Amino acid sequence: MERTLDENWKTCFAQLGPALLLFARRWANCRADAEDIVQEAFVRFWRRQHSIENRALLYATVRSTALDRLRSDQRRARREAAVALDRDEHSEPCFSTADEGQQLLAAAVERLPDEQREVVILKVWNELTFAEIATVLEISQNTAASRYRYALGALKKSLQPHE
Amino acid sequence: MNDFSELESELKRLRPTEVGDALFQRVERALLRPDKTATAETPGAGIIPRQPSRTGTWWSLGLGLTAATVLILLGLGFFAPPQTKTTPTVAQETPAASTSPSLTSGLQPSALTQTVYRQRDEGLVFSPNQSERLLRRVRYDTRETMQWRNPQTGASLRVSYPAEQVVLTPVSFQ
Repeated sequence: MERTLDENWKTCFAQLGPALLLFARRWANCRADAEDIVQEAFVRFWRRQHSIENRALLYATVRSTALDRLRSDQRRARREAAVALDRDEHSEPCFSTADEGQQLLAAAVERLPDEQREVVILKVWNELTFAEIATVLEISQNTAASRYRYALGALKKSLQPHE
Repeated sequence: MNDFSELESELKRLRPTEVGDALFQRVERALLRPDKTATAETPGAGIIPRQPSRTGTWWSLGLGLTAATVLILLGLGFFAPPQTKTTPTVAQETPAASTSPSLTSGLQPSALTQTVYRQRDEGLVFSPNQSERLLRRVRYDTRETMQWRNPQTGASLRVSYPAEQVVLTPVSFQ
């Protein structure tokens, strides 16, 4: 039995979509690719009738979908290299910023290493526990916590005024 | 963590960019489409590519070898010379009664060993059955060796074959 389509998927997607896109950016070289990943993962998740409260599973689905796409891409190496190169050049904003302070913070988040940034995204904008983050990213709970700590340390340092 | 509480609250005030209408429409169209396990329409779909064919090959090879071994044993038991029958009343015995002594006095299982020579953690997969739970899949490459021995004659038979075992462990989310 499939869940009825009218059953508030739009509400769920409106609420979760922005953070899902943010998370998917790691494996995409542009917003369009990230949208492809999110679309595929969300549809798959919704069709399987998982509880929308199970955020960890939803993010695991996004990650698996993204990795699967990378695996299936025969030009994987070239694509990954393009992702690395393009990320700096792409200036599509990931955040809606209200003032200069937020712009600086958003830029600092985007400069974080991927491993740290994805933990911050899952922790801050999705409120996953370290145990859930560990499951999603297939790392240990301690690793998740330390990456988060390093990330916040780096952000704090980058936001301090330089003399 | 208290050092970062202010920074964390600043981060939470930062909002990711909203999802555009185009993506909403794409998701809606995809949800309206019949579910064909998404493989036909999107080649990259799938959580982790499954490898059922290889698993099936190894299992069928193992089962085939086991079945062949059983047949060999039955054949050995069937053709083994009877050791106790001397009376002419053998014609009145049932076939089961005539084969039973040779089987029991023939080869008997004496050892079974299983050596794991490779273990691979293949990550998270969805359960193939209806429960659709997320599972961790670990694949073990093993070599199983079975040995039979005839305690009377000292004859022994040993069969060794490769096998593959897949262990699925449910992953719980909090």
